[in-house]
Amino acid sequence: MSVHVEDDVIHLAGRCQAEDAETLLVALQEGPDRIVDLAEVQRMHLAVAQVLLGARPAIRGNPANAFLARHFVNLLQ
Amino acid sequence: MDELLEQFLIEGRDLIAQGASDFARLARDPGDAAAVDSAFRAIHTLKGSVGIFPMGPAERVLHAAEDVLERARKGRGALDAAAVTGLVACLDAVDRWVDQIEGGALAPDAERLAAEVIAQLPGHAEASAAPVSGEVPDWLAGLAEREWPAIDAAAGPLTAFRYTPDADCFFRGEDPLAIVAEVPELVALAILPASGAWPAQDVIEPFACVSVLEGLSAAPADAVRATFRMMPDQVVLHRLDPAARPEAGLAETAARATAVLRVDAARVDALADGLGELVVAVNAFAPLAEQADKVDRALAATIRTVQANIERVAGDLHRGVSAVRQVPLAATLRRLPRMAREIAGGLGKGVDFDVSGEGLEVDKQIADGLFEPLLHLIRNAIDHGIETPAAREAAGKPAQGSVRLAARRDGDAILVTLEDDGAGIDAARIRAAAVSRGLIGEEAASQLTDTAALRLIFAPGFSTASEVTEVSGRGVGMDAVQASVERLRGTIDITSEPGRGTRFRLRLPANALTTRLLVVEVGSDRYGVALDQIVETVRIDSNALMPVGGGAACVLRGRTVPVLSLAALLGGADAPSPTAKLLVTRSGGERVALKVDGFAERIDTLVRPSSGILAGVPGVTGSTLLGDGGVLLVLDLPALAA
Repeated sequence: MSVHVEDDVIHLAGRCQAEDAETLLVALQEGPDRIVDLAEVQRMHLAVAQVLLGARPAIRGNPANAFLARHFVNLLQ
Repeated sequence: MDELLEQFLIEGRDLIAQGASDFARLARDPGDAAAVDSAFRAIHTLKGSVGIFPMGPAERVLHAAEDVLERARKGRGALDAAAVTGLVACLDAVDRWVDQIEGGALAPDAERLAAEVIAQLPGHAEASAAPVSGEVPDWLAGLAEREWPAIDAAAGPLTAFRYTPDADCFFRGEDPLAIVAEVPELVALAILPASGAWPAQDVIEPFACVSVLEGLSAAPADAVRATFRMMPDQVVLHRLDPAARPEAGLAETAARATAVLRVDAARVDALADGLGELVVAVNAFAPLAEQADKVDRALAATIRTVQANIERVAGDLHRGVSAVRQVPLAATLRRLPRMAREIAGGLGKGVDFDVSGEGLEVDKQIADGLFEPLLHLIRNAIDHGIETPAAREAAGKPAQGSVRLAARRDGDAILVTLEDDGAGIDAARIRAAAVSRGLIGEEAASQLTDTAALRLIFAPGFSTASEVTEVSGRGVGMDAVQASVERLRGTIDITSEPGRGTRFRLRLPANALTTRLLVVEVGSDRYGVALDQIVETVRIDSNALMPVGGGAACVLRGRTVPVLSLAALLGGADAPSPTAKLLVTRSGGERVALKVDGFAERIDTLVRPSSGILAGVPGVTGSTLLGDGGVLLVLDLPALAA
């Protein structure tokens, strides 16, 4: 379960694979105001990253992975 | 439509227009190095964008055209007239495919056509290797603009990379983000939408890769290249040496790239709507000042001052928003030359089609609305106007006909002229044809001036072609041309000399945001009339109205003008008065006067097109809100007087 929704927060956790992109997209379409929490992310596939870049949800938490924390989170500002 | 495709249609057609104008320059001067460069860039970028769509033939054709231009740039193959003709044919083919992809897919003959146009290119067989250009590519300019802090802070040279993964790479199990994470000494990274914009949430295809990844590394180029060893064809590298700073050109390109902002037209429209509401709201001050007059003169004067100030600011804003909505006519005109060549080719005629005034800027609504009527007029000119080469030679004319389209500004209006040097239109033939089709009585026809007789071709159901050709039998008639021009609040007139040619002149407002209205009184009701539909307003003694047939007429400036009662046209009773107040308008090219009971104020306002119940009311173009919250119906004078 790399994508799970709790109330109005979508948690991304562990290794987010390409197939998680669709789950994330549906979760965002159902609740466009949902916040996406990245604190637990270890790896993120570009398919998932694209959904975030396109939908621009509110983001919270900083990924544990140094590459994502340094080079990806700033692209979502 | 999918946003990616929509974006491509806009940008692809822009690039085609750019290429076409560069080729036109090259046709005049094959040695024009700047035109070769500009064409090369347009074709190169276009090649990159068609690659995203199932347009293989287009990609191959553009690749071949790019080779020819590349050799010309390197001075290894000067362009002669035949080469330029071949390049134009390539661009025409791609233009056609862009139209087809808009409809869903390329036509089955695309492969054959691609082979045909490629074969027209000079020395095509010796295709050169992919160009390694010394100049700064566009993407690098954008990257430099974005990452300047990192570039400035760099201690040594940097390697810039641009990685464009395949759209279906996810299906092959690739993760471009994981690959980029392996780039040694990564300094900066950007994930950009391949099409210039991220697809909207409702159309995003989660399993298609729509990203381009660009970044900077402090590692040498070879080390960066090694990361992408599995996909060498999807990566471009470039060395940046901040110390050497050979980037004067880079900064310049970057500045140019960011000086232009593409804004969704809907946002500008929303801004314009809001501004229209503001203008309407400001109109409320006038009655307020009048009320204040009754109790306190000084207060009323203050209110009028405030009103004048707000109006001035709103006027400035209005000019600003109008300027944003102004687009070059090039977008409308660019597809016409290719279509003119195709129409002429299909009819076995040679036509030299010339366009001028593409740089003219007009309101977007006008630019969008002009394409259809112009295309039809061009079709009509080539089909009915230009004679066959044999007939032209017999008449002592050059075998190739000429059709010229010119746009120019004239005050607040734009004038678009379409001239052909064809057979012209014979007014006597038009009269006879109109009578035989029962459009007009014989006597009425004989009384028409030649100018008025020519206008009969705009009557619904009129066509003088003795045989309906494939070209004229398709699409709309001249009546639809007139209707679409009038929808843009424009006018169209026509002059022709038998044997010498025909000229259509379209006159259109250059701005279309708010409309200046004259408020007129009819009995106890008030209506708005667009000032640009009014030729003049006159007051004459009622005794000067002469009864003619069932109606009336008067003499204005030595010409007899029919007078209609607006009250009667609107289904009311005409109220006699000693002085007749007349609005003079043009309907079907002739002047007509409409009698009203009073002229009131002039207002600037946003006219909303008729909808709901009003949509079915003839002679009403729309409505507008007044400052006091009331609704004013806006009349369409030419339609009422018709």
